Parts: sequence; C-alpha cells; structure tokens
Amino acid sequence: MIQFRDFSFRYREGADLVVRDINLTIPDGCFVGITGAAGSGKSTLTYAVNGIIPHCYPGDFYGEVVVEGLDTMEASLTDLSRLVGSVCQDIDSQMVATVVEDELLYGLENFAVPREEIPDRVTEALAAMGIADLRDRTIDSLSGGQKQKVAVASVLALRPQVLVLDEPTAELDPASSVAVFDLLARYAREHGTTVIVVEQKIALLSDYADMLVIVDGGRIRFADAPEAVLAHADELLALGVNVPRATTLVNTLADRGLYAGPTVRTVAGAVTAAKEVLA
Amino acid sequence: MAKFLEYVPGTSFLHRMNPSVKLICAILFAIACFTTSNLVFLGVLLAGAVALAVGCGLGRETAGLTKAVFAFSLILAVVLLLTTPTGEPLIALPWGYLGTGSLLAALTAIARLEAAAIPLFLVFYVTRMSDITNSAVKQLHVPYKYAFTFTSTVHFIPVFMNDMAGIMEAQTARGVEFDGSLAKKLRLMMPLCVPLLVSSVRKTNSAAIAAEVRGFNLRTRASGYKDYPLRTEDYLALAACILILGAAIALAVTG
Ligand SMILES: Nc1ncnc2c1ncn2[C@@H]1O[C@H](COP(=O)(O)OP(=O)(O)OP(=O)(O)O)[C@@H](O)[C@H]1O
Ligand SMILES: [Mg+2]
Repeated sequence: MIQFRDFSFRYREGADLVVRDINLTIPDGCFVGITGAAGSGKSTLTYAVNGIIPHCYPGDFYGEVVVEGLDTMEASLTDLSRLVGSVCQDIDSQMVATVVEDELLYGLENFAVPREEIPDRVTEALAAMGIADLRDRTIDSLSGGQKQKVAVASVLALRPQVLVLDEPTAELDPASSVAVFDLLARYAREHGTTVIVVEQKIALLSDYADMLVIVDGGRIRFADAPEAVLAHADELLALGVNVPRATTLVNTLADRGLYAGPTVRTVAGAVTAAKEVLA
Repeated sequence: MAKFLEYVPGTSFLHRMNPSVKLICAILFAIACFTTSNLVFLGVLLAGAVALAVGCGLGRETAGLTKAVFAFSLILAVVLLLTTPTGEPLIALPWGYLGTGSLLAALTAIARLEAAAIPLFLVFYVTRMSDITNSAVKQLHVPYKYAFTFTSTVHFIPVFMNDMAGIMEAQTARGVEFDGSLAKKLRLMMPLCVPLLVSSVRKTNSAAIAAEVRGFNLRTRASGYKDYPLRTEDYLALAACILILGAAIALAVTG
C-alpha cells in the first residue's frame, strides 16, 4: 500500500508549493494512472513515491508518504529503490550502458541478484516488453520508443513491488502505446505489482487504470475509477486534460437526458450508446 | 558511422580482447609514443595503429578521429615550427629562424599525438562501456564509483555534442548565421554555452539520480555478472606493448 498523508512539497529553487495537500491511498496491485496539464506536478508526485523526493531534490517536505510500510523520509533511497522500480521522464539520460543487455544487467548486478537467476530475468523482462530481438543492439541505434521499452524492461527485471513510470509512451505511436500498456497490465496482474504511471493519453489510461488521478496546479482534483472521473468531462477539459471526443459526445447526450448508461471512452462505446439512444 | 567514442558492435580481435588489457595496452602504447622522438619509429607506431583500426573495420571512425586530432596537433605543430630554431635555417624570423629541425619537431609532434590517440580512442569503439567499467573494477581494482564516473563522462560527450548541434540548429533557424570567420563563429557560439551548460547539468543530474534509484550505491566489486578471463591473445598483446615501450625507451636512451 502507498499512502500520501497531507503531503506538500516545495523545491528549494522554487517559491511555491509544487504539490499540495495530497491525500491518497493506493492499495497493493492497483494500476494507477496520473494525468494533468504540463507542469501540474505529476512527475513530482512520482518522485515522492520512489524517494527521489526528499532524497535527491532538497526542499520543504510536509506531511508524509509511506510506501509498503516505509516512511520515505526515514528510509534510505537504496531501501526504497529495492521496493520501487522507476522509469524517469528523461529517457536518454537514464541509460547507463551502450548495449541493451548491459542496460538490464546494471540493476540486477547492483541489487546482487544471484548469478544463476540473471539470464532468466533478462530474457523474461525483454520478452515481457516484446523486445527480445533488441538484446544485442546498441542503445544508440534504437528509436525513442524502443529506448522507452528498454528502460521499462530494465526495471521489470528487478521485479519491484511497485512500478513508477513517468510518461513511458511519450515517444510511441498510438498502436505501440496500446501494446506497452497491454504488456504492462499483464505483467502487473501476473506479479501483483502496483503500477503508477503518468500518461497524457487519458483514453488509453482509462482503459487500463483501476484509479485515475487528475492533478491540477499541484492538487488532486479527482482520484477515482476512470468512469467516475470521465463523467466530469467539462471540468477535465477546463483543466487542460484531453478528454476523448466519444466521452464528451455521450456525456452531452446524458446531460440532455437522452442517455443513462455508463460513461464511454471509445468510438465503439459511443456507437453503442448512440444506437441505444436512437433505438 | 558511429557517434564519437560510441561502441561499434563487432567480433574483431580487438572486440574480443580483455577490456582492462585493452586499456593498459593503449596506455603503454601512448607512453611509448611520448617517450620516443624518433620520427621513423613514430611513423611505424602510427602505421601500426592505423592498421589495427582498419583491421577491425573501424577505418571510417578512425579517419574522423585522425582529422580531429590533426586539427589540434596542428596548432601545437605551428607553435613548435616558430619556436624551435634548429637544423639548417630555411626562413629567417624576427626572433630566430625556421629550420629543418623545426620542421622535424613539428612533424614529430603530429605523428606522436596521432599515434598515441588512435589506440586510446579505439578502446571505446571496440568495448561496451559496462565492460570497461566492470573489468576495471574486477581486475584493476579501480573503485566502482570512479570507473562508472569515468565511463559515463565519456558516454556523455556525444550527448553534449548533440545538444550543442541542436542549439546551433535552433539558432540557425532563427536567422543566426554561423558561417564566416572563426572569430565571428566563436562570438556567436559563446552565448550558447550557457544553455548548453544548463542542459548538461540537468542531464548529468538526472542521470545520477536514475543510476541511484537503480541501486548504484549497493554496488561492490563482487557485483559484476560477467567474468573477464585473460586469454593467450591478451598476454601476447600485453607483451607486444611492453616490447614497444621497451624499444621506445631504448631509442630514447641511445638516440
Ligand atoms: N528540480 C526542480 N527544481 C525546481 N522546480 C522544479 C523542479 N522540477 C520541477 N519543478 C517545478 O515544479 C512544477 C511541477 O513540475 P513537474 O515536473 O512535477 O510537472 P509535470 O506535471 O510532470 O510536468 P510535465 O508534464 O511537463 O512533465 C513545475 O512548475 C516545475 O517548474
Ligand atoms: Mg513530468
């Protein structure tokens, strides 16, 4: 379980609180999607989970964040990183190796994973991201999207209890983004991993997330099941969140009293709803 | 062509050598180059280095490097040319003269720098970065922190060069013209150093953080997964480099 209790944070260089009054409980095995406008504090929230805040970025830290029983303020970054695997937003600067296989070995070696387990872990993590064929490629020769998959694979190999991913599909085309979320969701289900993922594509996010968190100006506006959050399409649009057209369309029908079913997120869903209305 | 100092996959003799041995050999070779002033010997060393590079299929990368080193050594050569009045006078200068000896000194400087640089750079082209780090930690007992910092720095050079190119491109798009005299070019480039510095600091900072959350601090000498056994070829290469250094010293003492 991950708990934020009255958490607020100000970077040392900044004048204002960047996130404030965060109260949130994430149960084990939950797939959480965080979205919000640029600069709203999404990455900062992920730093609070993996311990980068307060351990790497100094600043004013209020309240507490507890990850699997560890208070992030008291626990060391190393202890936290055994629990939480992170893929940061800046993909290029987190690559430590020149070859894909070495990138996966890096964490495994650091955490002293037993030698005989290592080959299987590498193979499994690459397969989990569908990039078994990239094993011997130089990282330099990969596309942005392939690098992102490598970065995810290199934390999956560590089998963390919690996965924190900051915009892991930013450089992927829509089809590959879906594929990555599919693979991630399957992996998380099989391993009981808690996943926290920052993502701009809200339609994609709501297909996979158990909980959708909308951040605005450092505050949590909504934290609920995707259907419940998407029912507030107008407010979301006002916050700069990209709500799927299908959702706004069907919500409008609902507002007019023409439709009473659940919120839809896809064109197919909107078609079904429209058929229902027209029947 | 591979980026500056970036690993090029392959199975050549050099690729298969032990990473620490490669590094030591390159250093011994460089010391030999700086020990001797015999132009013929330097020429042989330079030819050997080029042959090695071409033999590993890295001719193009080496040609690029050779050009960069040449530009740098040319400055040194010009200085030597003007300040070493030895040999038969060829041209009179207000403070002395330019002689055959000056020419020889300048040529020697160029050959020496080129010959010394090629094997050192080759190490990075034929060795995976993590192999250099891990082998240096395991076999040379270099503390992991230093080894990792060193290889990461080398790894970041192309990243920074890329950033600089990106910034210049953006400026060009805004109408800044970088062609023209060197002085003008420098004057235009100076203000760009600030954004470059800012972005570099930010990148290195986030790289350090990313390494830390992946257990960097837990690393010990025993952590490495791969072993780097020494094979016959490695001993032979070491012996060859020691011989070269020996020859260089002998030449320096007798010559
Ligand atoms: N290291 C830092 N030092 C000072 N201020 C920072 C730092 N990192 C982020 N900020 C500021 O905190 C605010 C929130 O940043 P954060 O990166 O968490 O937002 P974000 O929602 O992830 O944005 P994006 O969508 O651009 O990734 C921004 O105003 C940013 O300028
Ligand atoms: Mg962010």
